[in-house]
Formats: sequence, C-alpha cells, structure tokens
Amino acid sequence: MRAVIETDGLGKRYRRRWALTDCTLSVPAGHVVGLVGPNGAGKTTLLSLVTGLLAPDAGTIEVLGGTPGAGQAQLARVGFLAQDAPVYARLSVADHLKLGARLNPGWDAELARGRVDRLDLDPGQKAGTLSGGQRAQLALTLAVAKRPELLVLDEPVASLDPLARREFLADLMEAVAEHELSVVLSSHLVADLERVCDYLIVLVGSRVRVAGPVDELLAAHHLLTGPRRDPATLPDGLEVISASHTDVQTTLLARTSGPVLDPAWTVSEVALEDLVLAYMSQATGRRRRDHHHLEVQK
Amino acid sequence: MIWLTWRQFRVQALTAAAALAAFAILLAATGPHLASLYAASGITGCHGGTCGVAASDFLSRLAVTGPYPIVYLLGIGLILIAPAIVGIFWGAPLIARELETRTFTLAWNQSITRTRWLVVKLTLTGLAAMAVTEALSLIYAWWADPIGKAIGLLGLGNGSGHPWEGQFSSVVFATHGITPLGYAAFAFTLGTATGALIRRTVPAMAVTLVIFAAAQVAMPLGLRPHLIPPDRTIATIESAGLDFGNLTATVVPGQPGAWLISSGAINAAGQPVSDLPAACQAAFSGLKPTSPGACLESHGFREVITYEPASRYWPLQGIETGIFLALALALAGFCFWRLSRRRT
Amino acid sequence: MIEFHLDARSGVAPYRQLIHQVRHALRLGLLREGDQLPKVKDVVAGLAINPNTVLKAYRELEYEGLVAARPGVGTFVTGTLDGGSLAAHGPLRRDLTRWLARARRAGLDDESIEALFASTFRSASEEDIA
Repeated sequence: MRAVIETDGLGKRYRRRWALTDCTLSVPAGHVVGLVGPNGAGKTTLLSLVTGLLAPDAGTIEVLGGTPGAGQAQLARVGFLAQDAPVYARLSVADHLKLGARLNPGWDAELARGRVDRLDLDPGQKAGTLSGGQRAQLALTLAVAKRPELLVLDEPVASLDPLARREFLADLMEAVAEHELSVVLSSHLVADLERVCDYLIVLVGSRVRVAGPVDELLAAHHLLTGPRRDPATLPDGLEVISASHTDVQTTLLARTSGPVLDPAWTVSEVALEDLVLAYMSQATGRRRRDHHHLEVQK
Repeated sequence: MIWLTWRQFRVQALTAAAALAAFAILLAATGPHLASLYAASGITGCHGGTCGVAASDFLSRLAVTGPYPIVYLLGIGLILIAPAIVGIFWGAPLIARELETRTFTLAWNQSITRTRWLVVKLTLTGLAAMAVTEALSLIYAWWADPIGKAIGLLGLGNGSGHPWEGQFSSVVFATHGITPLGYAAFAFTLGTATGALIRRTVPAMAVTLVIFAAAQVAMPLGLRPHLIPPDRTIATIESAGLDFGNLTATVVPGQPGAWLISSGAINAAGQPVSDLPAACQAAFSGLKPTSPGACLESHGFREVITYEPASRYWPLQGIETGIFLALALALAGFCFWRLSRRRT
Repeated sequence: MIEFHLDARSGVAPYRQLIHQVRHALRLGLLREGDQLPKVKDVVAGLAINPNTVLKAYRELEYEGLVAARPGVGTFVTGTLDGGSLAAHGPLRRDLTRWLARARRAGLDDESIEALFASTFRSASEEDIA
C-alpha cells in the first residue's frame, strides 16, 4: 500500500526551540491514524507540516507522493480541519459552501448540500452563531466536499460536549467508509481515538515515541507482573517501556519480540490507553511511585 | 477568490460608496452656485491688472459666503484622512484578522495557494482604495475649480491666507492631482504589512495610524521641498512683498504661482537678518514718510528666496506619487515574504 | 436488519464483539439465510468505530462460511450456525447444575464460582489454540 505520509528526519524550529525533532514516519494509506501526545508535544506542528501550512527546517516530508502545500493540485488532495474549527463568523453557512465551490476545482456540491441538510444546518445562519459542534460539522463538510484523498484534523473534538463528540466521530467514520478516505486526527486524549483509530503515533516532547497499526502494537506489548526482580536479570527480547517495583513485586510494560516463557511472569494484555501512557511517562522520565498505576481501568 | 475577496470586503466597500455618494451630493448641491458666483465675478474675460482685483474680491466675498469655506475645508480634510481610514480599516485587518481568528487555516487549505490568495486580495482591495481616494479628489477638484483658478490669477502658489489654499500648500498638494493615489496605496499596504507583522488587528490599526500620520507630516515638511532641488533667487525688497514682522517674502517675483519654500532678508554684507534694523523701525511705525521697504533697500537689504517654479507642479506630483507607490510595492512584497510557508 | 452495540469495557476486541453478535443473531434466528447484514457505513455511523473493524469482522464471518460479500450491494447471510436449540443441551445443563451444587457445598460464593469458571475457561481456550 502506498504511504500517505512519508517523513525522514523531519524537524521544525520556532526561534531556538525545536517543536518537532527527527521525525521519521511511513504512514500507510487507508487507515484512520491517531496522533496522540500531551499538549505542546508537536502534534499541531506535524499536522501543519503535512498540510503545507509550515515548511520544514530539517528533513523531508512527502504527502500522497507530493510536497505539502505546493500548488493547487496538492492542496486539493488534502483536507484540513484546524483546532476549534475556525470559520468566517460573518459569512453564512451557504456562503461557506460557495467559498468551497469557488476555491476548489474538485468541489462536490451535491455532497456538501446533502451533508448540510442531513446535519440540520440552516444555510442562512451566520457561522459565528453556530454551536461548537455545528462549526466542527461545517468545517468537516468543507474539508470532505472538496473530495480529498487525505483528511487531517487537529484536535477536532477537544472542545465538544460528549454528545457532539460522538456525533462528530460517527459522522467522520461514515464519511471515511463512504469515500475511502485516509484520516489523520490528533488528540491529547486516547479515549477519543480508541474507537476510531487503527494506526497510532505517539508524539511526546517533539519526538515520535512509537508508531504502528493498533493491532500490531497491542499484540507486541504486554503487562508482565512477577516477583521483585533486579533489572539486570530481565529476560532478553524484552524492551521495557515502563516499570514499577514494590518491595515484593515488579510490574513491567514491555514490548516483546516473542513469547515470554519464564513461568515466573504473569503475562496479560495491555489496553491502548495504558500503552500510550507508558510511552508518555517513559518520555518524560516521570518515576511512578504508585505501584497501582498500571491497573487496567475499564 | 474574487468572490471571496468581495464577500469579505462588502461592508467596507458599501460604507465607502455611501461616503463617496454623500460627499458627491454635498458637492453637487453647492457646486453649481459656486460656479455661478465665479461667472458673475468678472474674472472670466478680465485683462491684466483687473484680474488680480476681481480675483481678490471674489475670494474675499466667498470667504464669508454661506457654506463654501466649510465645504472647502471639509473636502480637504476628508481627502487627507481618507488614506488613513483605508489603511486602518481596509489594510490592517486584511491579513491580521485572518491570522488572529485562525481562518487562514480555512483559506489556505482550499485548492488555492497563499500566493494567489494574497495577490487577489491585495490587488482588488488596494485598487479599490486608490480608486475611492482618487474619486474623492477628482469630484472635489471639479467643485473647487473656480477657487483654484482665482488663486492662480493672484499668482499665489502657497495660498491667499484666507481659508483658500494654493496648489502648493501642504494640505492641497496631497489632496489634488495624482498624489491621493500614492497616499492611498501606501496607507493600505502599510496596514497590510503591519497586520502581517503584528498579527493582531487592533494593534496593527494603531501602528498603521501612527506611522502613516508621521509620513503625512514628514513629507511636506521635510521631503517635498527637496524632491527636486529648489531654485534660489535674490530679489529686491519691494518685489518680494515682504512681511515686515519676520522679514519673509510673500511673493516670488517673476514667478507667478510658484511655491515659496523659504525666504529671509540679508543685509548689504550678505548676512541674514531677521529683524528690522533700528534705522527702519520708525518707517515701519509710520512715523517717517518713506515706506519700510524703501528704507531697507536704501540700506542695501535684499531678500533671498528658495522656491519651486509653478512649472514643477506636475513633476513634483509625479515624484511624490512615485515614491509612495514604490513604498507600497515594497510593503506588499514584505507581506508576501512574511507569509511564506517557513514563517507562519 | 440487526443493530450492533459495543461494550467498550468488556476487554473483548470490537471486531470480535461484532462477530459474536452476528453469530448470536444467527443462533436465535434473528438472522436467516439471505438476510443482509448492516452496511459498513451505517454500522460506523451508529457506533463511531473504524470501518476497517467492521470489514475485518465481516471478512472473518465470510471466512467461516457464514456470510458472503456481494461487491456494490452488501454482505448477505449464506450459512447457518450448527448449534441446534438450547433444549438439545439437556445433559450438559444437568451436569452444570450438579457442578454448581458441589461448588456451593464447597463454600464458594457467586463471585468465586464465576472467577473459577472464567479462569478455567480461558486457560482451556488457550490450550486449544496452542
């Protein structure tokens, strides 16, 4: 499958601070990619580089085989929904659709109208008076109706109430199913992404910590509990992501390259949220004092 | 993109159209009567010396007649502030508002490059700004034509000192001819550039206002006199129409309609003097029979005058407009550079 | 047409839950041969899950011979589940009742019984797979 985003050593700097460092990714097409990380990790920077709003300071990036933002054709293939879904407050919903129609050669007017009808948006209403959820839906309509191959969304549900959040994600998934889109969406909450993403990128402190299909990641990571162990005596083939010790017990979240045969370890599956949290804490080097931290909370 | 530019610009455009229409109505209501006053003044078809008298009479009467002085000054004021208004309300928000409200993420992700987006917005709105300002200037010039002609007959490039200004006066030069085009273009692109730099609409408006006002003041005071190196002449006291208070000239002899930039008296030795010598004080007070001018001349005093002849009016207009247009282009170029993908 | 639901807390992968629900519906007779399964886009619109999840479930059901995909039309039931009615499991039910009585006599409360069953079931399933 062709890669929808291909980066090599990608970096972006603001004055002296590197917002994104040494980012090397090969994201396959046909997936809903979740980009997760704490605020300030570089998610918006990476997405801005993908859509061509920013140009790299280091490394290279290719989106759908082309340079991001470089010309009409490339811009037509990528749809973007920025954080908080900015819209033109004094333009009406219908004006926004006209904007889309005039500025996009690939505009699908019927799709746009259909969506506006289905979502019960009043075409004459000024966009500034729409609710947060409605604004997000209008912005999504604009992004989808230009018939892109890739849809990029920056924290699309962060400021939405739970109902609006669910409706937005359901609507997004329907669009993905109907138009065979690749999607990249970012969030600082794993819970938002869990239902919809089948490819995960964890970004912490301007670096990619782990990236891959969710199935593979969950199959490759396990929770190991066992009697207290000296770290040096851990079996080979284990990459420990996070560890916590009490006086009698050791708990590890590890990436395993094969089955763990040592009977002293109890091996169990890891939930996506715990996997992400483990990589985040590894990155920030926070030592966990609470030995219950890896309890699976469902 | 043209539609979007218009749609975003609609309110400002209609406001400008309304203001232009209101001003036009005001001028249309008062213009014909002004023209008839001029026709009745006997200036048309006058010869030689009677022209000066007729013109002077016309202007003095006009200065106390009805709305004319008010409309005259109102018009000049309006054309003077029009570029600033355009710069603040059309220029500053153009880029700043898109950056501030983050709608650029919407605009620059349609299938249009940001270069094309900026080209269309700058060109259409900038041309509209120039057109509106120049339109104000042209309809005003039509209305004020009788006054201009009368002042021309008096040969006063600077003005006659009533409310009536000459073509070289600092306020009129910037509001007549083609200079309004330059000022409008400059103010507009100044607004867009500060908006691109500061990224906040209200601060950009304030900075634009301050910088433009400074430029508007600096040009007539500091730059305009040097756009073309002025001529210098040494004239007799009598011919220079001296103001005996500060010994400055009021007329450039042999140069009707010239722009009198500066002048000063020099004594027989060639040194500048700014006060009447003691010897001529009495003549000034009227105690002696001779005129103060004759007294000064008898002491060998002369007047040094720096001036631009009337023939340089259009070259100066062209140069000043050219400077502001060049600045406008540079500022527009700055906007493109500032918005390039490496920076935002 | 059946409707899917998802228990996010069950620990069972979503696609497995969908498979279970189709099989359950087949067993109960809610789905019969020739019936159409819900369209992928309708499932994801209702549940807000990834379309690939639904596709994976439908593919596995197709692999098991229970459904068949007709491109451009939808996915249709082709097979039945050989489960018979619950009544046929009489002997198993009796054995289970007897075992439950023994567990209670041994002093196990409800939770312990469930835990014992769950862990034995899991390890037995893993042994089956291994």
